[in-house]
Amino acid sequence: MKEFLLFLPLTIIYLALKSTLFASFPLPDIPLIMVFYLASRKASVEGALFAFVLGYLDDAFSGSVIGASSFALVLIYLGTHLMSMLVEFTTPTAKAGGAAAAALIKGAAVYYVLRYSNVDTYFLTHVVLQALVTGFFAPPVISALQWLTMLVTPRKFKDNES
Amino acid sequence: MRSSERQIFSFLKRYQIILVSAALALFSLHLALTDKKEYARGYLLKEILSYTVTPVQSAILGVQGSIKGVWTDYFYLVGVKDENEALKKTVYSLVEENRRLSEETKQNERLRALLEFKEALPYSTIGSAITGYSMERWSRTIVIDKGSSNGIEKDHGAIALTGVVGRVVEVNGASSRVLLTTDLRSNIDVIIERTRVKGVVEGNGTDGLVMKYVRQVDDVKPGDIVVTSGLSGVFPKGLAVGEVIRVEKSGDNFFKHIEVRPAVDLGRLEEVLVLKENSFHEK
Repeated sequence: MKEFLLFLPLTIIYLALKSTLFASFPLPDIPLIMVFYLASRKASVEGALFAFVLGYLDDAFSGSVIGASSFALVLIYLGTHLMSMLVEFTTPTAKAGGAAAAALIKGAAVYYVLRYSNVDTYFLTHVVLQALVTGFFAPPVISALQWLTMLVTPRKFKDNES
Repeated sequence: MRSSERQIFSFLKRYQIILVSAALALFSLHLALTDKKEYARGYLLKEILSYTVTPVQSAILGVQGSIKGVWTDYFYLVGVKDENEALKKTVYSLVEENRRLSEETKQNERLRALLEFKEALPYSTIGSAITGYSMERWSRTIVIDKGSSNGIEKDHGAIALTGVVGRVVEVNGASSRVLLTTDLRSNIDVIIERTRVKGVVEGNGTDGLVMKYVRQVDDVKPGDIVVTSGLSGVFPKGLAVGEVIRVEKSGDNFFKHIEVRPAVDLGRLEEVLVLKENSFHEK
C-alpha cells in the first residue's frame, strides 16, 4: 500500500510534465512500467485498482477518451500477472521485452476502444515508437521503482534460527 | 459454514485478482464507450484536477521559462575572471532585463493585437492563456485557464487572430479543455470562400486538416481559402479555417481528397479568444 502512495504522486508529476514541457517528446510510458512492475512482482487486488487509477489519470491529463487507458492498463495488469506465473521477468532483457510488449498491447487496446467509440484513428508509428522507448527505458525505471519500494518497505531480519 | 458456501468463498478468494481486474476492465470499457458522447460529465476527479493540475502545469511552464533564462544567461557567464565579476553582473542584469523587456514587448504586441481583434468582433469573447498541451496521435487538445466561473460553456468556439482554433469539450471551474481542429474527433462545417462549395473539415491527427464530402465536379483548387459556414452553430460564418494545399481524386471516384493547412499555427499558440455565444445559427 505504501508503494502505491509513493507511485501515485510520481505518476501525477510525470503526467504534468508530459502535458507541459515534454508534450512532443516520445517519453517512456511510466504508468505502464509501474503497472508491469507491480503485476510481475506480486499481484494483488489493490494493484488492479491502482492500475485503473493510473489509467484514469493518464486519460484525464492527456484529454483522451476517459476509460481507454484504464481499460488497457487493467488488461495489462491481468495479463502480466498471468504471464508471470509462466515467465520470470527478472533479467533486463525480459523486463525490456515484457514492457515493450505491454506497451504494444496498450496501444492496440486503446486503438480498438477508440475505433469502437467511432473515433477515426490510425495505428501507426506512434504506438511502435512508444513501445520501443518504453521497452528501452523499462529496466532502469524498474530498478528505480525497486529502490523506491525498498525505501518504504520495512526490512525483516531473522535474528536467531534454531 | 456449509460445504458449497466454503467452495464459493474459496473460488472467490483464489481468483479475486482476475475477477476484480475483469470487473475494472469492463467498467473502464463502459466509461470509454459512453464518455465520447458526453464530454462534460461532472466527474469529481476532473473537477479536482482542474483546480490542482492547471496551477501545477502553469508553474512548470513558468519554471521552464526561468530555468531557460538561468541556463542561457547565468551559467554561460560562470568561470569569468574575478576582476570582471562586478562588470559581468551588470551585464547579466542588463541582459536579463533586456530579455524580460523583450519578452514583455512581444507579449504586449500579441495581447494588443488580440485586444484589437476582440474589440472588432461583433460578438462577445473572453481572452484566455494556454496552460497545457496534449499533442498525441489520437488526442490534440489544449487546456486554457478559464472555466465555468468565467462564463465558458461546453461547445463554445475558440479562435485566434488568424482563424479557428477549436471547440471547448470539457469545462471545469477554473479551466477548460479545447479540442483542436487537428484532432481526429474534430469536424467543422465549412465552405470554400471563392466558389461557396460546402464540405466538412476534419483533423488528421497530426498538424493538418482534411476536407471531406466535396464532389469530383465541384470547383476547388490549391490556394482556396476555407471558411466556416456557420451551419453547426459553434462558429459564426466566415472565420478562416485554413488553406487548400492539395486536391486529389479519392479512391471512391465520387468525392475529392482535399488537404488543408490550418489557418492558425497551433504549435506556437499562447493565447486564444473563446466565443461566449451559445449559438451562431443565422436567424
